[in-house]
Amino acid sequence: MNATSGFCLLVDDSLLVRKIARKIFTRLSFEVDEAENGQIALDKCQSRMPDVVLLDWNMPVMDGLEFLKSLRRTEGGRGPAVIFCTTETDVEHIQKALANGANEYLMKPFDQESLIAKLDLVFFRK
Amino acid sequence: MSVDDIVKAQSIADSAIATMQRLEIPATPANYAIWYEYHAGLSPNLQRTIDVLISNRESFNETTLQDLYATFFSTAKEAQAVREISVHALATLQEIVGVADLASDDAHQFGHALQGFASKGLEERFGNLKNLIVNLVEESKSMAGRSEYVGIRMRESAGKIEALERNLENAILDSTMDGLTGVANRKSFDAIIRKSAGEAMNSGDDLAMLMIDIDHFKRVNDTWGHQTGDIVLRHLAKTLQKAVRGGDHVARYGGEEFAVILPNTNGQAAVSVAENIRLALAREPIQIELTPPITPTTVSIGAACYDPGEPLAEWVGRADAALYSAKRDGRDRVELNECPN
Repeated sequence: MNATSGFCLLVDDSLLVRKIARKIFTRLSFEVDEAENGQIALDKCQSRMPDVVLLDWNMPVMDGLEFLKSLRRTEGGRGPAVIFCTTETDVEHIQKALANGANEYLMKPFDQESLIAKLDLVFFRK
Repeated sequence: MSVDDIVKAQSIADSAIATMQRLEIPATPANYAIWYEYHAGLSPNLQRTIDVLISNRESFNETTLQDLYATFFSTAKEAQAVREISVHALATLQEIVGVADLASDDAHQFGHALQGFASKGLEERFGNLKNLIVNLVEESKSMAGRSEYVGIRMRESAGKIEALERNLENAILDSTMDGLTGVANRKSFDAIIRKSAGEAMNSGDDLAMLMIDIDHFKRVNDTWGHQTGDIVLRHLAKTLQKAVRGGDHVARYGGEEFAVILPNTNGQAAVSVAENIRLALAREPIQIELTPPITPTTVSIGAACYDPGEPLAEWVGRADAALYSAKRDGRDRVELNECPN
């Protein structure tokens, strides 16, 4: 990895999830910012587009799916790799996430290994 | 159907069957349709959805399989899908038995295997499967030919079908419940800890696990027989179920080892639940007359709290380590593995 692997935005209303994810991304030399809902995340994307977004589904104000739809419509918003990160495990949610432009889907609980596996898929998929 | 088509269909069918075996998926026509389509690569959406499930180590339970089928095979398509799959499977069989001598033992055995499969009393739930197999049997009867290679391929396929049959029976028998004790089985324990840990990670709430092992269980089996051993297992399961609250989960982890999952419970509270279990066993021993009289059942218990972000195997491992300490320090006791934090 280079001095910095990229800029990562953690979007989750759980402080604990953000803390765990921040620890892992920092270890992987990512620059990290956080947002506790989709609206705040969208605002942050407008001032600086991230390389990776780790995205929760259920959040107040604006949920993950709404954020994803809006992001992909924003100028430059097709660039970030979006990894949904949620406790939703059913086919309908997975389908919806992929159909709306999510690059990957990580189920909670996650750990360093399972998160890295998804990052590998996102960045090194042929 | 051209020779190329048949060869291709066979290799897809082989992959589909192999994947179903590996993931322990019941051999129903609907499931076969899903996995055939997955390997045929005809539907990128289906492929990606399944890849997400596989990469997240999510088990393919009945609900998930039904949802996959409902999502990717509309009802109107259903009949056609089953027919197509039937055709593909037939193509496979034709290739296999197409030049086989049906008078040979191999062919007979194969026919018997298929017929045995079809006549199992599972019509109600798997009627379509029976039809599929009956078709295959009929079809294989109408074919003739000779080849060494074909005989080998036939035995392979018969073996695969038998394996699928075992999967099917397993899927029916041990869906989520342990047959002996009636508590959750190992498979559903894995699903329970994933779900509970996911929720705890989101909410930041405490989550604890108890690993419970019967002391000197081998001695019970050796002295009073396995039937008594079974009674002891059932008695403990009942005691555990009485000792826990509504949202808690009791599971048989394997052999004489049980696990209890306690949401909203910290280490100290988990220890007191464990102590209650130990005391309840002492207070209400098993009531059976045996010669020599049965010794009171005691258990060793290891407790550990989930540390969000740690691999689940590590959490289970810490509970196991605590259980091991309890055993080492003399049994009939509770040990807590302190969270790393």
